Amino acid sequence: MPEADVPVLDHEVLDEVLESTGNDIDFVKELIDTYLADAPAQLEDMAAAMEADNAASLVRPAHTLKSSSATVGAMRLSAVARELEMAGRSGLLEPSAREMLAEAQAESAAAAEAIGAWLARASAE
Amino acid sequence: MTTQGTALVVDDSAVNRLMLARRLETLGLEVLQAENGLEALDVLAARPGAVDVVVLDVLMPELDGYETLAAMKGTEATRHIPVLVVSSVEELDSVVRCIELGASDYLPKPINASILAARINASLAAKRLHDVEQALNRTIERQKEELSRFLSPQVAALVSSPDGEQLLAGHRREITVAFCDLRGFTAFAERADPEELMTLLSQYHRMMGEAITEHEGTLEHFAGDGVMVFFNDPIPQDDHVERSVRMAVAMRDRFAELAELWRHRGYELGFGVGIAVGHATLGRIGFDGRHDYGAIGNVTILASRLSSQAQAGQILLSPQAQAMLEELVDSEPVGELTLKGLTQPVLASNVVGIR
Repeated sequence: MPEADVPVLDHEVLDEVLESTGNDIDFVKELIDTYLADAPAQLEDMAAAMEADNAASLVRPAHTLKSSSATVGAMRLSAVARELEMAGRSGLLEPSAREMLAEAQAESAAAAEAIGAWLARASAE
Repeated sequence: MTTQGTALVVDDSAVNRLMLARRLETLGLEVLQAENGLEALDVLAARPGAVDVVVLDVLMPELDGYETLAAMKGTEATRHIPVLVVSSVEELDSVVRCIELGASDYLPKPINASILAARINASLAAKRLHDVEQALNRTIERQKEELSRFLSPQVAALVSSPDGEQLLAGHRREITVAFCDLRGFTAFAERADPEELMTLLSQYHRMMGEAITEHEGTLEHFAGDGVMVFFNDPIPQDDHVERSVRMAVAMRDRFAELAELWRHRGYELGFGVGIAVGHATLGRIGFDGRHDYGAIGNVTILASRLSSQAQAGQILLSPQAQAMLEELVDSEPVGELTLKGLTQPVLASNVVGIR
């Protein structure tokens, strides 16, 4: 797995967001809530594309998930989403793509948990 | 805090929009948002002139970044708005394509606050410069328009042309001068009430003005009933002598109707013209605070003196003008005229008609 050495959550990303907004924890919460609300929808769109065996329609949700995950520091999910985007662009959905989707779903849960832990700590500070 | 400008963030990811909007607000910008290219174009159309910079994602539903860029650059109202394309490093191909389509620059993902600040400031500076330039152009256009109400259109164009200063400073050129005035005007002015006087002048000036414009003459001045027009300057006209006589004949024909109208009210008015060809010095004449574009030379004096000698309905040509128009004009000699200020008598001819 290329993403094995990538952290589930790069804490520095959210730390930087918090710092650059003048420790506006409410804004960071809003950002996280938006992310946690949107990511499942993108995973669903990707699942639907996989179901329909439609490589082209996998690209956009995978791309969006890659990008928004990176924005909040969910680097491992971002990396898996990137693989899925590339798989979509290749035009062929190999069986490995389905495994990647399952991995993305698992990573999404892991990211949500790590983000929740970060937020709990940051709110306490 | 005063706003630095307005940015439009176009991204299908709500998280990215939120993050970008926040960073842009931190830079002092007001932020509008759109989820895709179609929405972005709607926002731009609904608020013309409001957006100073667009931050554009490439991969979006409905209308992607390329299509949005192409639409913006193809529309006059949005062509000059700087566009920053948001892209990950691995998508440099798409960045190149966007820049070819007219994007100003790109922002690498994930967004770095310092790079964002630098690119936004550069874009806003470019936009401001463009806006200032536009405003300046509008001012110049408006001034030109205003100027052309006071000056001859040719002179107004000259004032704002690149070599205008040189021409205004003074130059010598052969010109044809046509000087027109009315017989019986002084008597009319004495008897007529002010309303009648202004009515006549306005009818007469409008009629003269139309003929001058049709023949592209340069109006030097109106002074009561006296009108001085010259040709071949500031715009060169190979047929300047011909133009002047065609204008004078048109004026004489049209004036006949006006004279008829005023005859019914009991006023006898006649129209006379003097035309002369020769070299003159042309340029800015006057003093600080009030200048005119004028012509100085014997040619203007000659035209003016011929005009004052002309009987009602006569168009008097100087000998040189007559010689140059021999082919075109039927004329009759009116004999030697002794003109005020000129030592030699002048053999003038009256234009009967154009062949």
